[in-house]
Amino acid sequence: MIAMQVADIIAEYVVFLTLTDEDELNLDTAVKMTESLADHLEEMDKGFLRELVDTFPVVAEGYSGEAQEVVRNIAYNFYLEEALAAEDPVRLAELEALRDARD
Amino acid sequence: MNEASRGRKSSAFSWWLRTGRLPLAVSPDGLELKFNPWHDPADGRFTFAGAGRHYGASEADAAGGASSRTSDRAGAAPALGDRSKSQTGTRSKRKTSRAGPPASGAHRPVRPVPPPVQPKSTEEGQLGKQPNPVTEFVGGVGEGLYDVGKVTVAGLHAARTTNPATTVRSAGRGIAGMIDAAIAAEDTPARIQVSRAASAVANASARDIGRATGTVAGNVALAVAPGATLSKVAALRRLRMARPRTTYEPPQIGWVRETTRSKKSWKTYNDAAPGARAGQAPTLMRTMADGSKRPVKFDGIQGDYVIDRKWKVVDAPHARAQLLRQSQVLAEHRLIGTWEVPTLVEKNKALKLFKKMSVTNIHVKVVKP
Repeated sequence: MIAMQVADIIAEYVVFLTLTDEDELNLDTAVKMTESLADHLEEMDKGFLRELVDTFPVVAEGYSGEAQEVVRNIAYNFYLEEALAAEDPVRLAELEALRDARD
Repeated sequence: MNEASRGRKSSAFSWWLRTGRLPLAVSPDGLELKFNPWHDPADGRFTFAGAGRHYGASEADAAGGASSRTSDRAGAAPALGDRSKSQTGTRSKRKTSRAGPPASGAHRPVRPVPPPVQPKSTEEGQLGKQPNPVTEFVGGVGEGLYDVGKVTVAGLHAARTTNPATTVRSAGRGIAGMIDAAIAAEDTPARIQVSRAASAVANASARDIGRATGTVAGNVALAVAPGATLSKVAALRRLRMARPRTTYEPPQIGWVRETTRSKKSWKTYNDAAPGARAGQAPTLMRTMADGSKRPVKFDGIQGDYVIDRKWKVVDAPHARAQLLRQSQVLAEHRLIGTWEVPTLVEKNKALKLFKKMSVTNIHVKVVKP
Protein backbone atom coordinates (compact mmCIF):
# COMPACT_ATOMS: atom_id res chain seq x y z
CA MET A 1 0.00 0.00 0.00
CA ILE A 2 2.77 2.39 0.89
CA ALA A 3 4.71 1.33 -2.15
CA MET A 4 1.72 2.28 -4.32
CA GLN A 5 1.57 5.76 -2.74
CA VAL A 6 5.33 6.34 -3.09
CA ALA A 7 5.31 5.03 -6.65
CA ASP A 8 2.47 7.40 -7.47
CA ILE A 9 4.45 10.39 -6.17
CA ILE A 10 7.54 9.34 -8.07
CA ALA A 11 5.56 8.79 -11.26
CA GLU A 12 4.04 12.27 -11.15
CA TYR A 13 7.44 13.83 -10.50
CA VAL A 14 9.03 11.91 -13.36
CA VAL A 15 6.26 12.87 -15.79
CA PHE A 16 6.75 16.50 -14.82
CA LEU A 17 10.51 16.38 -15.36
CA THR A 18 10.19 14.52 -18.62
CA LEU A 19 7.32 16.17 -20.38
CA THR A 20 7.26 19.77 -19.15
CA ASP A 21 7.91 22.28 -21.88
CA GLU A 22 11.20 24.16 -22.04
CA ASP A 23 9.44 27.47 -21.49
CA GLU A 24 8.26 26.32 -18.07
CA LEU A 25 11.19 24.25 -16.95
CA ASN A 26 14.84 24.39 -17.91
CA LEU A 27 15.55 21.14 -19.68
CA ASP A 28 19.03 20.75 -18.25
CA THR A 29 17.76 21.36 -14.76
CA ALA A 30 15.08 18.73 -15.35
CA VAL A 31 17.70 16.18 -16.33
CA LYS A 32 19.77 17.08 -13.32
CA MET A 33 16.83 16.50 -11.01
CA THR A 34 16.07 13.23 -12.78
CA GLU A 35 19.61 12.09 -12.07
CA SER A 36 19.12 13.13 -8.47
CA LEU A 37 15.94 11.06 -8.28
CA ALA A 38 17.78 8.06 -9.73
CA ASP A 39 20.32 8.37 -6.93
CA HIS A 40 17.55 8.47 -4.33
CA LEU A 41 15.88 5.39 -5.74
CA GLU A 42 19.10 3.37 -5.87
CA GLU A 43 19.78 4.18 -2.23
CA MET A 44 16.43 2.75 -1.16
CA ASP A 45 16.06 -0.53 0.67
CA LYS A 46 16.28 -3.28 -1.93
CA GLY A 47 13.09 -4.95 -0.83
CA PHE A 48 11.10 -1.75 -1.00
CA LEU A 49 12.71 -0.85 -4.30
CA ARG A 50 11.57 -4.23 -5.60
CA GLU A 51 8.01 -3.38 -4.58
CA LEU A 52 8.26 0.01 -6.27
CA VAL A 53 9.58 -1.50 -9.48
CA ASP A 54 6.70 -3.95 -9.55
CA THR A 55 4.19 -1.15 -8.79
CA PHE A 56 5.18 1.32 -11.55
CA PRO A 57 3.31 -0.63 -14.29
CA VAL A 58 0.20 -0.55 -12.12
CA VAL A 59 0.56 3.18 -11.53
CA ALA A 60 1.11 3.73 -15.27
CA GLU A 61 -2.44 2.53 -15.88
CA GLY A 62 -3.64 5.82 -14.41
CA TYR A 63 -1.87 7.78 -17.13
CA SER A 64 -2.42 7.91 -20.84
CA GLY A 65 -0.41 8.50 -23.93
CA GLU A 66 3.17 9.62 -23.60
CA ALA A 67 2.96 9.97 -19.81
CA GLN A 68 1.86 6.36 -19.47
CA GLU A 69 4.88 5.22 -21.45
CA VAL A 70 7.14 7.35 -19.27
CA VAL A 71 5.80 5.84 -16.04
CA ARG A 72 5.89 2.29 -17.38
CA ASN A 73 9.56 2.75 -18.29
CA ILE A 74 10.73 4.30 -15.03
CA ALA A 75 12.50 1.12 -13.90
CA TYR A 76 14.14 0.73 -17.29
CA ASN A 77 15.18 4.40 -17.69
CA PHE A 78 16.60 4.62 -14.16
CA TYR A 79 18.47 1.29 -14.31
CA LEU A 80 16.51 0.07 -11.28
CA GLU A 81 16.63 -3.62 -12.23
CA GLU A 82 20.41 -3.33 -12.51
CA ALA A 83 20.51 -1.73 -9.07
CA LEU A 84 18.55 -4.66 -7.64
CA ALA A 85 20.86 -7.20 -9.35
CA ALA A 86 24.09 -5.45 -8.38
CA GLU A 87 25.34 -8.55 -6.55
CA ASP A 88 24.33 -10.99 -9.28
CA PRO A 89 26.65 -10.90 -12.29
CA VAL A 90 24.59 -13.46 -14.21
CA ARG A 91 21.45 -11.39 -13.82
CA LEU A 92 23.39 -8.25 -14.77
CA ALA A 93 24.60 -9.91 -17.95
CA GLU A 94 21.08 -10.99 -18.74
CA LEU A 95 19.76 -7.45 -18.20
CA GLU A 96 22.46 -6.03 -20.40
CA ALA A 97 21.55 -8.43 -23.15
CA LEU A 98 17.88 -7.51 -22.81
CA ARG A 99 18.76 -3.80 -22.97
CA ASP A 100 20.90 -4.28 -26.07
CA ALA A 101 18.15 -6.29 -27.74
CA ARG A 102 15.56 -3.64 -26.93
CA ASP A 103 17.63 -0.80 -28.37
CA MET B 1 105.76 -18.61 -67.35
CA ASN B 2 106.20 -19.14 -63.66
CA GLU B 3 108.75 -21.80 -64.35
CA ALA B 4 110.74 -19.44 -66.55
CA SER B 5 110.56 -16.70 -63.95
CA ARG B 6 111.63 -19.09 -61.23
CA GLY B 7 114.48 -20.25 -63.42
CA ARG B 8 115.71 -16.74 -63.95
CA LYS B 9 115.52 -16.05 -60.24
CA SER B 10 117.46 -19.18 -59.32
CA SER B 11 119.96 -18.42 -62.04
CA ALA B 12 120.52 -14.92 -60.70
CA PHE B 13 120.83 -16.29 -57.23
CA SER B 14 123.39 -18.88 -58.23
CA TRP B 15 125.29 -16.17 -60.10
CA TRP B 16 125.34 -14.08 -56.97
CA LEU B 17 126.46 -17.06 -54.86
CA ARG B 18 129.29 -17.85 -57.17
CA THR B 19 130.49 -14.32 -58.01
CA GLY B 20 129.17 -12.16 -55.23
CA ARG B 21 127.64 -9.92 -57.91
CA LEU B 22 124.27 -9.57 -59.34
CA PRO B 23 123.73 -9.81 -63.05
CA LEU B 24 123.06 -6.62 -64.91
CA ALA B 25 119.52 -5.60 -65.55
CA VAL B 26 119.42 -4.69 -69.17
CA SER B 27 116.39 -4.48 -71.37
CA PRO B 28 116.34 -6.14 -74.78
CA ASP B 29 117.08 -2.81 -76.46
CA GLY B 30 120.14 -2.34 -74.34
CA LEU B 31 118.78 0.24 -71.94
CA GLU B 32 119.66 -0.07 -68.33
CA LEU B 33 116.75 -0.96 -66.12
CA LYS B 34 116.35 0.92 -62.89
CA PHE B 35 113.77 1.02 -60.19
CA ASN B 36 112.04 4.30 -59.49
CA PRO B 37 110.08 4.16 -56.23
CA TRP B 38 108.55 7.59 -56.61
CA HIS B 39 105.03 7.71 -57.91
CA ASP B 40 102.22 10.21 -57.98
CA PRO B 41 99.48 8.62 -55.84
CA ALA B 42 96.85 10.46 -57.87
CA ASP B 43 97.56 8.81 -61.21
CA GLY B 44 100.35 6.36 -60.49
CA ARG B 45 102.81 7.97 -62.85
CA PHE B 46 106.52 8.24 -62.08
CA THR B 47 107.70 11.40 -60.47
CA PHE B 48 111.06 12.85 -59.63
CA ALA B 49 112.63 12.00 -56.34
CA GLY B 50 111.04 13.89 -53.49
CA ALA B 51 107.78 14.47 -55.33
CA GLY B 52 104.84 12.13 -55.03
CA ARG B 53 105.12 9.12 -52.78
CA HIS B 54 107.99 6.77 -52.13
CA TYR B 55 106.95 3.17 -52.75
CA GLY B 56 110.40 1.69 -52.30
CA ALA B 57 111.28 -1.44 -50.36
CA SER B 58 111.63 -0.44 -46.78
CA GLU B 59 111.44 -2.54 -43.66
CA ALA B 60 107.82 -1.66 -43.18
CA ASP B 61 107.04 -2.67 -46.72
CA ALA B 62 108.89 -5.88 -46.22
CA ALA B 63 106.42 -6.63 -43.45
CA GLY B 64 103.77 -7.08 -46.05
CA GLY B 65 102.52 -3.65 -47.05
CA ALA B 66 99.80 -3.96 -49.62
CA SER B 67 100.67 -0.66 -51.18
CA SER B 68 104.22 -1.66 -51.83
CA ARG B 69 104.98 -3.19 -55.16
CA THR B 70 108.03 -4.89 -53.78
CA SER B 71 106.47 -6.55 -50.81
CA ASP B 72 106.57 -9.94 -52.42
CA ARG B 73 110.24 -9.61 -53.11
CA ALA B 74 111.27 -8.43 -49.70
CA GLY B 75 114.08 -10.34 -48.19
CA ALA B 76 114.84 -12.17 -51.39
CA ALA B 77 117.41 -11.63 -54.02
CA PRO B 78 116.44 -9.02 -56.57
CA ALA B 79 114.55 -10.45 -59.48
CA LEU B 80 115.30 -9.33 -62.94
CA GLY B 81 111.91 -10.18 -64.29
CA ASP B 82 110.22 -7.85 -61.85
CA ARG B 83 112.61 -5.08 -62.48
CA SER B 84 111.81 -5.07 -66.12
CA LYS B 85 108.50 -3.42 -65.30
CA SER B 86 110.09 -0.28 -63.95
CA GLN B 87 111.93 0.99 -66.91
CA THR B 88 112.78 4.61 -66.54
CA GLY B 89 114.65 5.16 -69.73
CA THR B 90 117.32 7.19 -67.96
CA ARG B 91 120.83 6.52 -66.85
CA SER B 92 120.84 8.92 -63.93
CA LYS B 93 122.60 7.39 -60.92
CA ARG B 94 120.83 9.65 -58.47
CA LYS B 95 117.50 7.96 -58.96
CA THR B 96 118.69 4.63 -57.68
CA SER B 97 116.96 4.38 -54.39
CA ARG B 98 115.98 0.76 -54.14
CA ALA B 99 117.81 -2.09 -52.49
CA GLY B 100 118.61 -3.42 -55.85
CA PRO B 101 121.67 -3.53 -58.01
CA PRO B 102 123.31 -0.30 -58.94
CA ALA B 103 123.14 0.21 -62.64
CA SER B 104 126.10 2.36 -63.35
CA GLY B 105 128.09 -0.21 -65.24
CA ALA B 106 127.97 -3.70 -66.61
CA HIS B 107 130.68 -5.14 -64.34
CA ARG B 108 130.29 -3.03 -61.28
CA PRO B 109 130.06 -5.18 -58.17
CA VAL B 110 126.86 -5.11 -56.27
CA ARG B 111 126.56 -5.60 -52.57
CA PRO B 112 124.23 -8.44 -51.66
CA VAL B 113 122.11 -6.49 -49.15
CA PRO B 114 122.76 -2.81 -49.56
CA PRO B 115 121.07 -0.53 -47.07
CA PRO B 116 117.95 1.07 -48.45
CA VAL B 117 118.51 4.54 -49.69
CA GLN B 118 116.31 6.94 -47.84
CA PRO B 119 114.45 9.55 -49.80
CA LYS B 120 115.89 12.15 -47.49
CA SER B 121 119.44 11.59 -48.71
CA THR B 122 118.25 11.69 -52.29
CA GLU B 123 116.39 14.90 -51.63
CA GLU B 124 119.48 16.43 -50.15
CA GLY B 125 121.31 15.70 -53.33
CA GLN B 126 118.63 17.40 -55.40
CA LEU B 127 117.80 20.28 -53.16
CA GLY B 128 117.78 22.73 -55.97
CA LYS B 129 115.28 20.77 -58.05
CA GLN B 130 113.03 19.75 -55.19
CA PRO B 131 109.56 21.38 -55.01
CA ASN B 132 108.71 23.61 -52.11
CA PRO B 133 107.10 21.47 -49.33
CA VAL B 134 104.69 24.25 -48.42
CA THR B 135 103.50 24.49 -52.00
CA GLU B 136 103.19 20.73 -52.16
CA PHE B 137 101.17 20.69 -48.93
CA VAL B 138 98.80 23.40 -50.15
CA GLY B 139 98.42 21.62 -53.46
CA GLY B 140 97.65 18.39 -51.60
CA VAL B 141 95.01 20.12 -49.53
CA GLY B 142 93.41 21.35 -52.71
CA GLU B 143 93.46 17.87 -54.21
CA GLY B 144 91.90 16.39 -51.11
CA LEU B 145 89.11 18.93 -51.07
CA TYR B 146 88.59 18.43 -54.77
CA ASP B 147 88.35 14.66 -54.32
CA VAL B 148 85.80 14.98 -51.52
CA GLY B 149 83.76 17.45 -53.52
CA LYS B 150 83.89 15.29 -56.62
CA VAL B 151 82.72 12.20 -54.73
CA THR B 152 80.00 14.17 -53.00
CA VAL B 153 78.68 15.64 -56.23
CA ALA B 154 78.77 12.23 -57.86
CA GLY B 155 76.88 10.76 -54.92
CA LEU B 156 74.27 13.49 -54.99
CA HIS B 157 73.84 13.13 -58.71
CA ALA B 158 73.46 9.40 -58.35
CA ALA B 159 70.96 9.83 -55.54
CA ARG B 160 68.88 12.20 -57.68
CA THR B 161 69.03 10.27 -60.89
CA THR B 162 69.37 6.64 -60.00
CA ASN B 163 66.51 4.30 -59.52
CA PRO B 164 66.10 3.79 -55.77
CA ALA B 165 66.30 0.04 -56.22
CA THR B 166 69.60 0.40 -58.06
CA THR B 167 70.90 2.76 -55.41
CA VAL B 168 70.03 0.30 -52.70
CA ARG B 169 71.65 -2.51 -54.65
CA SER B 170 74.81 -0.46 -55.17
CA ALA B 171 74.87 0.49 -51.53
CA GLY B 172 74.57 -3.19 -50.67
CA ARG B 173 77.52 -4.04 -52.88
CA GLY B 174 79.53 -1.25 -51.30
CA ILE B 175 78.71 -2.47 -47.85
CA ALA B 176 79.66 -6.00 -48.85
CA GLY B 177 83.00 -4.69 -50.12
CA MET B 178 83.60 -2.85 -46.89
CA ILE B 179 82.84 -6.00 -44.93
CA ASP B 180 85.25 -7.99 -47.07
CA ALA B 181 87.96 -5.39 -46.51
CA ALA B 182 87.29 -5.38 -42.80
CA ILE B 183 87.52 -9.17 -42.66
CA ALA B 184 90.77 -9.08 -44.62
CA ALA B 185 92.15 -6.42 -42.31
CA GLU B 186 91.12 -8.49 -39.34
CA ASP B 187 93.05 -11.44 -40.71
CA THR B 188 96.18 -9.31 -40.96
CA PRO B 189 98.16 -9.21 -37.72
CA ALA B 190 97.95 -5.92 -35.91
CA ARG B 191 101.69 -5.40 -35.89
CA ILE B 192 101.75 -5.60 -39.66
CA GLN B 193 98.95 -3.12 -39.98
CA VAL B 194 100.75 -0.77 -37.63
CA SER B 195 103.96 -1.13 -39.55
CA ARG B 196 102.12 -0.39 -42.77
CA ALA B 197 100.68 2.74 -41.30
CA ALA B 198 104.08 3.79 -39.98
CA SER B 199 105.59 3.17 -43.38
CA ALA B 200 102.92 5.18 -45.09
CA VAL B 201 103.49 8.09 -42.75
CA ALA B 202 107.25 7.86 -42.98
CA ASN B 203 107.21 7.85 -46.75
CA ALA B 204 104.46 10.42 -47.18
CA SER B 205 105.44 13.53 -49.00
CA ALA B 206 104.18 16.97 -48.22
CA ARG B 207 101.62 16.59 -50.97
CA ASP B 208 100.37 13.34 -49.44
CA ILE B 209 99.94 14.98 -46.05
CA GLY B 210 98.22 17.94 -47.67
CA ARG B 211 95.86 15.67 -49.56
CA ALA B 212 94.98 13.79 -46.40
CA THR B 213 94.40 17.06 -44.58
CA GLY B 214 92.17 18.34 -47.35
CA THR B 215 90.17 15.11 -47.41
CA VAL B 216 89.60 15.19 -43.67
CA ALA B 217 88.66 18.87 -43.77
CA GLY B 218 86.28 18.28 -46.64
CA ASN B 219 84.61 15.36 -44.95
CA VAL B 220 84.23 17.28 -41.71
CA ALA B 221 82.67 20.15 -43.62
CA LEU B 222 80.34 17.74 -45.35
CA ALA B 223 79.35 16.21 -42.03
CA VAL B 224 78.55 19.57 -40.51
CA ALA B 225 77.15 21.48 -43.47
CA PRO B 226 74.33 19.16 -44.56
CA GLY B 227 72.57 19.44 -41.21
CA ALA B 228 72.48 23.20 -41.36
CA THR B 229 71.66 23.22 -45.06
CA LEU B 230 68.90 20.68 -44.72
CA SER B 231 67.39 22.56 -41.80
CA LYS B 232 67.30 25.68 -43.95
CA VAL B 233 65.74 23.79 -46.81
CA ALA B 234 63.18 22.22 -44.49
CA ALA B 235 62.35 25.60 -43.00
CA LEU B 236 61.91 27.11 -46.45
CA ARG B 237 59.73 24.19 -47.48
CA ARG B 238 57.59 24.60 -44.39
CA LEU B 239 57.32 28.30 -45.09
CA ARG B 240 56.23 27.66 -48.65
CA MET B 241 53.71 25.00 -47.66
CA ALA B 242 52.31 26.96 -44.75
CA ARG B 243 48.77 28.05 -45.31
CA PRO B 244 46.97 30.60 -43.22
CA ARG B 245 45.23 28.76 -40.45
CA THR B 246 41.62 29.30 -39.71
CA THR B 247 41.42 31.08 -36.43
CA TYR B 248 38.49 30.28 -34.26
CA GLU B 249 37.02 32.54 -31.67
CA PRO B 250 37.47 31.40 -28.10
CA PRO B 251 34.44 29.52 -26.80
CA GLN B 252 31.62 31.91 -26.01
CA ILE B 253 30.94 30.71 -22.53
CA GLY B 254 28.08 32.37 -20.78
CA TRP B 255 27.17 32.06 -17.13
CA VAL B 256 23.64 31.71 -15.82
CA ARG B 257 22.38 31.72 -12.29
CA GLU B 258 21.74 28.30 -10.79
CA THR B 259 19.79 28.04 -7.58
CA THR B 260 19.33 24.32 -7.20
CA ARG B 261 19.70 23.35 -3.57
CA SER B 262 20.44 19.91 -2.17
CA LYS B 263 22.40 18.27 0.60
CA LYS B 264 22.91 15.10 -1.37
CA SER B 265 26.13 13.83 -2.89
CA TRP B 266 25.17 14.59 -6.49
CA LYS B 267 25.03 18.34 -5.74
CA THR B 268 28.44 18.39 -4.12
CA TYR B 269 29.87 16.36 -6.99
CA ASN B 270 28.43 18.65 -9.66
CA ASP B 271 29.59 21.81 -7.92
CA ALA B 272 33.16 20.45 -7.76
CA ALA B 273 33.54 20.36 -11.55
CA PRO B 274 36.67 22.12 -12.90
CA GLY B 275 36.03 25.77 -13.65
CA ALA B 276 32.71 25.79 -11.85
CA ARG B 277 31.50 28.92 -10.13
CA ALA B 278 29.37 28.91 -7.02
CA GLY B 279 25.71 29.62 -7.86
CA GLN B 280 26.47 29.81 -11.59
CA ALA B 281 26.50 27.36 -14.47
CA PRO B 282 28.53 27.74 -17.69
CA THR B 283 26.45 27.74 -20.85
CA LEU B 284 26.90 27.57 -24.59
CA MET B 285 24.34 29.19 -26.87
CA ARG B 286 22.55 26.81 -29.20
CA THR B 287 21.04 28.11 -32.41
CA MET B 288 17.52 26.85 -32.94
CA ALA B 289 15.90 26.06 -36.28
CA ASP B 290 14.14 29.44 -36.30
CA GLY B 291 17.43 31.27 -35.67
CA SER B 292 16.75 31.93 -32.01
CA LYS B 293 19.34 31.04 -29.42
CA ARG B 294 18.93 29.07 -26.24
CA PRO B 295 21.50 28.17 -23.61
CA VAL B 296 22.75 24.69 -22.91
CA LYS B 297 24.02 24.32 -19.38
CA PHE B 298 27.09 22.48 -18.23
CA ASP B 299 28.81 22.12 -14.87
CA GLY B 300 32.35 23.32 -15.62
CA ILE B 301 34.92 24.20 -18.21
CA GLN B 302 38.59 23.33 -18.54
CA GLY B 303 40.42 24.95 -21.45
CA ASP B 304 38.39 24.18 -24.54
CA TYR B 305 36.60 21.28 -22.86
CA VAL B 306 33.20 21.88 -21.35
CA ILE B 307 32.34 19.48 -18.58
CA ASP B 308 29.07 18.00 -17.47
CA ARG B 309 29.16 15.93 -14.32
CA LYS B 310 26.73 13.04 -13.98
CA TRP B 311 26.26 11.47 -10.59
CA LYS B 312 23.87 8.99 -12.18
CA VAL B 313 23.35 8.28 -15.85
CA VAL B 314 19.70 7.85 -16.86
CA ASP B 315 18.29 6.69 -20.17
CA ALA B 316 15.07 8.70 -20.10
CA PRO B 317 13.76 10.50 -23.21
CA HIS B 318 14.62 13.98 -21.92
CA ALA B 319 18.10 12.75 -20.90
CA ARG B 320 18.66 11.56 -24.47
CA ALA B 321 17.38 14.90 -25.73
CA GLN B 322 19.89 16.67 -23.48
CA LEU B 323 22.70 14.55 -24.88
CA LEU B 324 21.75 15.55 -28.43
CA ARG B 325 21.51 19.22 -27.44
CA GLN B 326 24.96 19.12 -25.91
CA SER B 327 26.42 17.38 -28.94
CA GLN B 328 24.85 19.93 -31.27
CA VAL B 329 26.00 22.97 -29.36
CA LEU B 330 29.50 21.55 -29.01
CA ALA B 331 29.63 21.00 -32.77
CA GLU B 332 28.46 24.57 -33.38
CA HIS B 333 31.25 25.92 -31.20
CA ARG B 334 33.83 23.35 -32.44
CA LEU B 335 34.37 22.09 -28.93
CA ILE B 336 34.66 18.73 -27.25
CA GLY B 337 32.56 17.87 -24.24
CA THR B 338 33.40 15.67 -21.30
CA TRP B 339 31.10 13.77 -19.04
CA GLU B 340 32.64 13.12 -15.68
CA VAL B 341 31.10 10.24 -13.74
CA PRO B 342 32.00 8.83 -10.31
CA THR B 343 32.16 5.11 -11.13
CA LEU B 344 33.02 2.72 -13.92
CA VAL B 345 29.44 1.45 -13.93
CA GLU B 346 28.19 4.93 -14.80
CA LYS B 347 30.88 5.28 -17.42
CA ASN B 348 29.72 2.09 -19.14
CA LYS B 349 26.15 3.36 -19.09
CA ALA B 350 27.28 6.63 -20.67
CA LEU B 351 29.30 4.89 -23.37
CA LYS B 352 26.33 2.75 -24.35
CA LEU B 353 24.16 5.83 -24.48
CA PHE B 354 26.66 7.69 -26.69
CA LYS B 355 26.79 4.74 -29.04
CA LYS B 356 23.02 4.46 -29.15
CA MET B 357 22.67 8.18 -29.93
CA SER B 358 25.70 8.25 -32.28
CA VAL B 359 27.37 11.00 -30.29
CA THR B 360 31.11 11.27 -30.91
CA ASN B 361 32.11 14.72 -29.68
CA ILE B 362 31.62 13.99 -26.01
CA HIS B 363 34.06 11.91 -24.01
CA VAL B 364 33.47 10.26 -20.70
CA LYS B 365 35.87 9.67 -17.86
CA VAL B 366 35.69 8.51 -14.31
CA VAL B 367 36.40 11.21 -11.75
CA LYS B 368 36.15 10.02 -8.20
CA PRO B 369 34.17 12.33 -5.88
